Amino acid sequence: MAEKKKIICVIPAYNEEKSIRDVIKAVKGQADEVVVVNDCSKDRTREIATSEGATVLNHIINRDQGAALETGNKYALSQGADVIYHFDADGQHKADEIQDVLAPILKGRADIVFGSRFLNKKSEVPFIKNYILFPLAKIVNRLLLGVSFSDPQCGFRAMSREAASQLRIEQDGKAHCSEILYKTHKLGLRAVEVPVTVIYNNFGLKFIDGVRIIKDIIFYKLLN
Amino acid sequence: MAQQILAFFVLLFFVIRLFFQRNRKEISNNEFVFWLLFWGLASMAIIFIKKIDAFVASLGFSGAGIDVLIYLGVALLFYLVFRLRIKMEKMDKNITKIVRELSLQNKSNKNEGNKR
Repeated sequence: MAEKKKIICVIPAYNEEKSIRDVIKAVKGQADEVVVVNDCSKDRTREIATSEGATVLNHIINRDQGAALETGNKYALSQGADVIYHFDADGQHKADEIQDVLAPILKGRADIVFGSRFLNKKSEVPFIKNYILFPLAKIVNRLLLGVSFSDPQCGFRAMSREAASQLRIEQDGKAHCSEILYKTHKLGLRAVEVPVTVIYNNFGLKFIDGVRIIKDIIFYKLLN
Repeated sequence: MAQQILAFFVLLFFVIRLFFQRNRKEISNNEFVFWLLFWGLASMAIIFIKKIDAFVASLGFSGAGIDVLIYLGVALLFYLVFRLRIKMEKMDKNITKIVRELSLQNKSNKNEGNKR
């Protein structure tokens, strides 16, 4: 009989008091442990996550999403996780798609799985993102990092213990998505893309975030 | 000549200010020496501006010496800003490391507390 794998869900959260309760409830049954990395929220994110039974790691200074994910990964590895998956705290991902994202790793077909909103037509991607921001991000990823995945900026991903140990997220900001894609390619990890649905709300990436990501990637390339 | 005298007065203002800053202990000795040398070099450039003009012309530049000094100054500033950016990037990463370690340590301390 196959040995049961320990699955840990990492949720980076910053001021997510409105959605964090539902998100934790939704993922609870699909992970052995739910870890919320509270990135110095000014609202009740921490209290709500604790009351919902999640393991809460607190950043005393806001360090942004990439830093929170690395903290979560580090903790998950220290707890002996076999599989780690990242899930956004704002409710933009669907918990009933978690098994689809985990499956390739659990079946030993992949080291890392990326959710992609572009592999199906379920996500109603806003016009500017669909036709300007994401195509631009793809071009930047291709030209500067040499990677071409269908979704350059999806926060829904899963990775095996081995992959998480090798993939150190150094980009504290939103450029971590591109960094993970780049390192996956560089380390020769077996990657699979799985269609996921992204539910859009008002808190997603803005144009200025896109500019920041490109700036961070350029600087990352200059220094590495 | 009038321009040189004016430039000297400007320099004099900064040098006097530098001494006041040192007396008020607003800057360290190293900083004081650095800026004193900097303004010293600037005054040399003013005194020998004609020689610099001739030197710059001998190098094949069409502009006057002061123009070349400004170009060099801008290039130096770009370099310093880049250095500063790298330093800030490193500091930023170190802050993240500290914040991360603290969050993990606090968690493990709590876990140990719960076990007792």
